[in-house]
Amino acid sequence: MRHLVFSFIAAMLVTGPVWADERLVSDDTGREVLVPRQPDRVVVMHEPLLGLPLMDLGIEITGSYGRADDGSFVIAVDFIDTVLGEGRPKPRGFGPFGQPDLEKLRALEPDLIVATELDAGKLDQLATVAPVYLQNVSSAKVHGIEIQDDLAALVGLTEVFNSRKATYLERVSSLRETLPANSAGLTYLPVFLTDQLNVVGDASGMVQALEDLGFIRLNVDDTSKLAAGGGSMMLMPLSAEAFGRLNPDLLVLLNSYTEDDRGETGTRAKLDRIVPGWQQFMKPNLENRILFVDPAKVITPTLASANHMLDAFESWTLKSR
Amino acid sequence: MIRRGTATDGLGILRFKNGFQIKISNLVAGLGLAMAAVLLAVYSLQIGLTKTGISDFLAIFVGAELSDAKVYALIDVRLPRILVGFMVGWAVALSGAVLQSLARNPLADPGLFGFSQGSMIMIMLLLIVVPLAPKSLVALAAVAGGLCVAGLLLWLVGGGRSSGLAIVLMGIAVETVLSSFGTLLILYLPPETSLALSEWLAGSLFQANWSLIAAFLPLFFLSLAGILIAGRALPAYDLGNEMAMALGEPVARSQPMLLLFAVVLSAAAVTAVGPLMFLGILAPHIAAFLSPATGRARLVLSGLTGGILVVAADTLTRGVAVGLPMPLGLSLTIIGVPLFIIALRLQALRKFQSH
Repeated sequence: MRHLVFSFIAAMLVTGPVWADERLVSDDTGREVLVPRQPDRVVVMHEPLLGLPLMDLGIEITGSYGRADDGSFVIAVDFIDTVLGEGRPKPRGFGPFGQPDLEKLRALEPDLIVATELDAGKLDQLATVAPVYLQNVSSAKVHGIEIQDDLAALVGLTEVFNSRKATYLERVSSLRETLPANSAGLTYLPVFLTDQLNVVGDASGMVQALEDLGFIRLNVDDTSKLAAGGGSMMLMPLSAEAFGRLNPDLLVLLNSYTEDDRGETGTRAKLDRIVPGWQQFMKPNLENRILFVDPAKVITPTLASANHMLDAFESWTLKSR
Repeated sequence: MIRRGTATDGLGILRFKNGFQIKISNLVAGLGLAMAAVLLAVYSLQIGLTKTGISDFLAIFVGAELSDAKVYALIDVRLPRILVGFMVGWAVALSGAVLQSLARNPLADPGLFGFSQGSMIMIMLLLIVVPLAPKSLVALAAVAGGLCVAGLLLWLVGGGRSSGLAIVLMGIAVETVLSSFGTLLILYLPPETSLALSEWLAGSLFQANWSLIAAFLPLFFLSLAGILIAGRALPAYDLGNEMAMALGEPVARSQPMLLLFAVVLSAAAVTAVGPLMFLGILAPHIAAFLSPATGRARLVLSGLTGGILVVAADTLTRGVAVGLPMPLGLSLTIIGVPLFIIALRLQALRKFQSH
């Protein structure tokens, strides 16, 4: 009996600190997950949507799905460099897209894996390595920088987020005051150019900044119906014919990541190939209501991207005066 | 007990007391393939980031203490991949071999008949509506999708009275429609959903774990029983439906049962790793090159070849193509197609020399 009591006390002493360092949270799919209060080895399953918001709050990401073993990123643009600035340490990869390597993932010794709700199919396997938190990223479910807000709460950095957001909102207010006309109620439409035209979804710093400035998204047919199915960055393809008829108060054009020139010249040239002659008949162009922005800076759901958008908007308004 | 004799084609044969008989060449090929599967599994156990392999694996059984990383690599990652890969390859190859006899067409496989597409589309629709659907529901959806296509196919060609050619042609038509619908779904779904589905469509053994093995194992054993039953009927189907009926095969009853057997095997494989196109054609042909066989022997040899091909493809993905995005379907093609071409070429040369 005495042996049992000692064993129980020993077990309590061993498990006690674990209870103190962990907490039970409910993820976006309704699962209850035991996560560390302050995780310090976080792995993300989608770098732009999950990794950047955390890094923007000061967390160093240990691993990121899609990065190579040497830390290089899978697509042409490295969002850590473009959004947060160069020189930051890069997370390590654990297998190419489509083939996450569980052994490599385990070798990273993560204490928390943050995945999107679309990774639910990988959940069982990922959970063999560390607790997995599923975060909504689809446009129908999250808006602006809500992802960063949610993740800040997950890792116990809500105060940091709120403080940075307050600074950002002050900047929004001061920028609104300098605008020549009140932008409240004016419409905007962000369009991303690949080999086709794509209306950009709602979960980005760009959308957050534009809507905080008072703009309202232009309703293009029934994008809301399509958005219900998901789609975090690209909402829907847009035909060249439908695009030519649109007349938002502010047309935001973003050139593909694969293009070297993502500025005004490159974007105009790209759009010329998709909608020949658009510069002659589209009202936003004739009335100088187009904002050309680099998607590599503004597309992530972070305060950093929202600030990049404010920078772009500010320099555009100064130029327009 | 066992008597050695000679078959009508002059090849050696072993005759058992209970009437069971097997050609020696088929037995040798089967044992060779089984040995190859074991050797491949041993090699595959060594592939991965953690430095461990067969010696550590055997050490577990004598009570040796291994590091957590080694146990995780061997027991949680590599062994499930090998076992699931083998069983999935076995199932698809078996399904292909059964369909080839039913259709009397060497090109028949679950993909050509639209069974894989039926399962795929049903799973895609389920995942769109219920993204977090439990695996049992996904498996049911796959079987339902395959069965719907099989039922449609039988109805379209007129049930048991249909000829093999009619089944193939109607199968191609159904497969084309379903593939188009699948492409449409991928194209017009939101990008993230499309990406998640595309990953699954490309095929992967990432999901391999012990619960999947436990779910697949009964089917694997059921397939062994299926081989005993279907293997007896298939040589008659190889001669055509009329001849099969003349030989006493109850075609109207056994044809739907054989189709059901092929559909369940194909659907289970699709659920586990995604569609493995062309494997249902590849494996029976490579097996036939190793040892021309009919009936049960053909099914066993095809199954073993299919299993080996999938394990080899996964080994290629994990070992040689480290860091390269190489889905299972692609590595299977890289390994299987050259073997297929060599086998067909050598078969043609063999025939040419014999004339």
